[in-house]
Amino acid sequence: MTDTATRPGAPRILIPALLIALLGTIVTVALDTVLLWWAALIIGVVLAFAAVVLVDRRMPEAERTGASGTKEEGTTLHRTLVVPTALVLSVVSGLLLAWFLDLSLIEPVAAALGAFAGSAAALLLYRRLSAMLALSFAAVFAAGIIAIAVTALVLFFSGIAPGATFARMVEYGTRPNSLVQIINDGTTYYLAAVAVAIGFKMKLFNIGVDGQYRLAALMAAAVGGWLVLPPVLSQIVIILVAVAVGGAWAGIAGYLKVTRGVSEVISTIMLNAIATGITAYLLNTDRLAVEISTNNIGTPPLPEGSWIPGIPAAFLGSEREIFGLVLLAAAVGVGYAVMLNRTRFGFELRATGQSQSAAEASGVNVKKMVFLSMLFSGMVAGLVGMPQLLGSSHYYALDFPTGIGFIGIAIALLGRNHPVGIAFAALFWAFLNQAAGILPFDGIPQEIAVIAQATIVLTVVVVYEVVHRWGRRYQQQQIGKELGTTVAGPAEETAPTGAASDSGDGTGDDTPGTGRGGEAK
Amino acid sequence: MSSTPSGDGGQAPPAVELRGITKRFPGVVANHDINISVAPGTVHAIVGENGAGKSTLMKTLYGMHRPDEGTIHVNGRQVKFTSPSDAIRNGIGMVHQHFMLADNLTVLENVVLGAERLHGIGARARAEILRLSGQYGLGVDPDRLMEDLGVGDRQRVEILKVLYRGARTIILDEPTAVLVPQEVDELFDNLRELKREGLTVIFISHKLDEVLSVADEITVIRRGTTVATADPGTTTARELATLMVGGELPVPELRESTVTDRVVLSLDGVTVRSGDGRAVVDGVGIDIHEGEIVGIAGVEGNGQSELIEAIMGMRPVSSGRIRLGGQDITGWHTLKIREAGVGYIPEDRHRHGVLLESSLWENRILGHQTKRPSVRGPWIDRAGARADAERIVSEYDVRTPNIDVIADALSGGNQQKFIIGREMSGEPRFLVAAHPTRGVDVGAQSAIWEQLREARAAGLAVLLVSADLDELIGMSDTLHVILRGRLVAQADPTSVTPEQLGSAMTGAGLGGDGGTQTTEGGSGDDTADRDGGGA
Repeated sequence: MTDTATRPGAPRILIPALLIALLGTIVTVALDTVLLWWAALIIGVVLAFAAVVLVDRRMPEAERTGASGTKEEGTTLHRTLVVPTALVLSVVSGLLLAWFLDLSLIEPVAAALGAFAGSAAALLLYRRLSAMLALSFAAVFAAGIIAIAVTALVLFFSGIAPGATFARMVEYGTRPNSLVQIINDGTTYYLAAVAVAIGFKMKLFNIGVDGQYRLAALMAAAVGGWLVLPPVLSQIVIILVAVAVGGAWAGIAGYLKVTRGVSEVISTIMLNAIATGITAYLLNTDRLAVEISTNNIGTPPLPEGSWIPGIPAAFLGSEREIFGLVLLAAAVGVGYAVMLNRTRFGFELRATGQSQSAAEASGVNVKKMVFLSMLFSGMVAGLVGMPQLLGSSHYYALDFPTGIGFIGIAIALLGRNHPVGIAFAALFWAFLNQAAGILPFDGIPQEIAVIAQATIVLTVVVVYEVVHRWGRRYQQQQIGKELGTTVAGPAEETAPTGAASDSGDGTGDDTPGTGRGGEAK
Repeated sequence: MSSTPSGDGGQAPPAVELRGITKRFPGVVANHDINISVAPGTVHAIVGENGAGKSTLMKTLYGMHRPDEGTIHVNGRQVKFTSPSDAIRNGIGMVHQHFMLADNLTVLENVVLGAERLHGIGARARAEILRLSGQYGLGVDPDRLMEDLGVGDRQRVEILKVLYRGARTIILDEPTAVLVPQEVDELFDNLRELKREGLTVIFISHKLDEVLSVADEITVIRRGTTVATADPGTTTARELATLMVGGELPVPELRESTVTDRVVLSLDGVTVRSGDGRAVVDGVGIDIHEGEIVGIAGVEGNGQSELIEAIMGMRPVSSGRIRLGGQDITGWHTLKIREAGVGYIPEDRHRHGVLLESSLWENRILGHQTKRPSVRGPWIDRAGARADAERIVSEYDVRTPNIDVIADALSGGNQQKFIIGREMSGEPRFLVAAHPTRGVDVGAQSAIWEQLREARAAGLAVLLVSADLDELIGMSDTLHVILRGRLVAQADPTSVTPEQLGSAMTGAGLGGDGGTQTTEGGSGDDTADRDGGGA
């Protein structure tokens, strides 16, 4: 039963993996001559997947990531959900990569590389995808479909053809220039969402990312504009100022929570309002600002030596540039993942988020954790304005983007606070924003994107939670079966201690057995 | 032993009949194929060890969840309950183990709460309460404030609440768990009164002596299913025990004394005040020696939890000193106290002991997040934590598929064994064990006792708090009684009886031969240290 000790030997897997990936590639290349590239690729990857299923039995046992360690092969859930999800995911990943490469490479090469990646993914996913992870993907798929359906209904009742609208959005959203814009917006959103997610992991709601990044960006821009420093040093100083200001602003809320018990929801909302006031006060020609154009005032533009150069996006077929700070966002994501999963601080953070009482009994200084996580959240929030400031506008003016903090909350919810999930959510959000930009030209209200975004956040949160809960219960049943026990575990001592609802003619809403079920975010 | 399949009295239809009830839960089958028939006007006891599925069954009967299979019949009629209100409508009421009463309301207000439509909330309701109280001899005063009432009175209010709602069948879930022996006798008098008035009582317990003294018929549940129905007149406790566990019941007992004269933990006049300034722990002084288990007996809510939290640094000490191996640890942070070699088995493992949604190996780190092998500097040592979690699972016989399952998937007993294994790692000098076998099945119970004995033999000092008097008497070298935050008596575990302990817990003094205030070395050597009850 306990088979975790033996890790599969890498070389024994490598050879069949290569063979399978080659199989998928060769089939794709061969079919590419007679079929459209994407049809060829789908067939190739599906064949590779079939090969994986056949070969898998002779390969060493795999460890499933995120699984709670039960044998999943052969269960109904595995057969009906995990395997199909793995298949769909490998095909989709192959298609996406091929499409992406197609922008800069010639088509047959792109298709071949996509097929290779898709086939390799087939092997990996079939062997490593756990039921829980598959459930998450399935939940996101389901939520996406519901959201699209709702949006389509709204369009339909407004007398607009949904199909044509969606087609138009996809077409516009995948143009090279749109792609650059999506990546740039996504970078900003990603930073905001990570800032929010750090708080969420501790069940802290940092609503104040918005005020934190605006204040931080203003201060950083002012420092960069007034204080002329040599290149490199200048950028570093600007970013450090932003981090410090964001952290300090969020730290106020953390301090109030720790010392006076002020709810961070209230204090961060208030701090947002105060930040708005302070920026309005400081952004005045008598103080930090200068006149930038006839209708606009802002901090003095940064000297060119303080800019951060963009990355040319020729590989996407676009003339425009991707923010150089996309690398910073990636680094923040990696840092967030490492912090969360590999450090003692991250462990204590998660422990406090899961059960404050257990953390306290284990010697975690909960107050310190609250303050520090608020501080870190604010420090990341301080970075939110940096890609824009250093990469594009070069000054903080009246037209500096606002409201990104709130978008960050939605994206953190959508990405389930997971570093990778947030990345996809941020790109998806930016895609909807960008793609909707074409709609006014067709006389379609642009707000359709907002409806889609709102629906998808709601559906993802609800569907994910429902599916996740169900999946966990299913898994517990599997464990129960495996152990073959018939002893009542959850029923003991969970006698409802809540309201006296079941003594009267109340609704009797106690759900025994799962009395302490997971908390919806 | 008379173990007929089910009561087939003949005349009146059974008040309640359960046929083939099966209920599955995440991870377990809590009940399967349960068959019980309860004759009207009787006290029917349902016995089984902790975790055998008694509470699950009663929740099914009370409509708190629906059975996956099987049928329920009330007075010969098949019924389907979707909520407790359905059960109440059919004359079935339940008194939970944990009371559901609002402290700041009067008895009258508590009773009418949620049943205002029956008799209003004024004079009519009061008259009805007085009538019921008189009829069933409950002696409840409708105008007393709930917080002024003792545990026994509260229980009677709970029973009255159920009667007020028109119940003819009353389910009592482990009603004696919170009572001292004297209160138990009073409760049983009340139950006989109810029976005389024609009501049916379903009485859930795992205490066999009590069951034998009050029940008319006994159904034994083992591992989620009914194994026998017995007649208390012809059955002995031993036979019932055998039925319950399918073998002999383990008995908590210590072997030869291992107590040394080296003090590990010393409490000196420790006082803890609650938010409103009341002393919840009042001048407690104990010395715990290497190789000694010191037991604290007391009715729950008399300061045990606060005392433990003060020792663990989770609650400020307002006066007095706590010393660990001569070092003053008063006011230290929990983490520092743990690092100094204090293990902690919390009384509520779900709140304080585990992260239910984290894997076992992550739970291995909890509380030891600054120590090897789970951590290296600021980094989590995954390999180390996993290896040590594997060690705990095998050494402490934690029944789990592997260490990647979340803690929530394990049964209570296995969670507890894992916690004990974790707290014993790193060789603690001193262990706080609060209710170490609560809600744990018999097999795990004896394993836990054995681990405590082994650790004691290896020189561990243990503070044991428990509500199980047999466990306290059997496992302690020294036994103190706590009442309203003070140590009021010290008893000799080799000679004291549960009854004597119970009377001391209510403040009546040990009486008899228990030896109040003065003690002698129980098992060979001198453990007499400072006596409790300091002003």
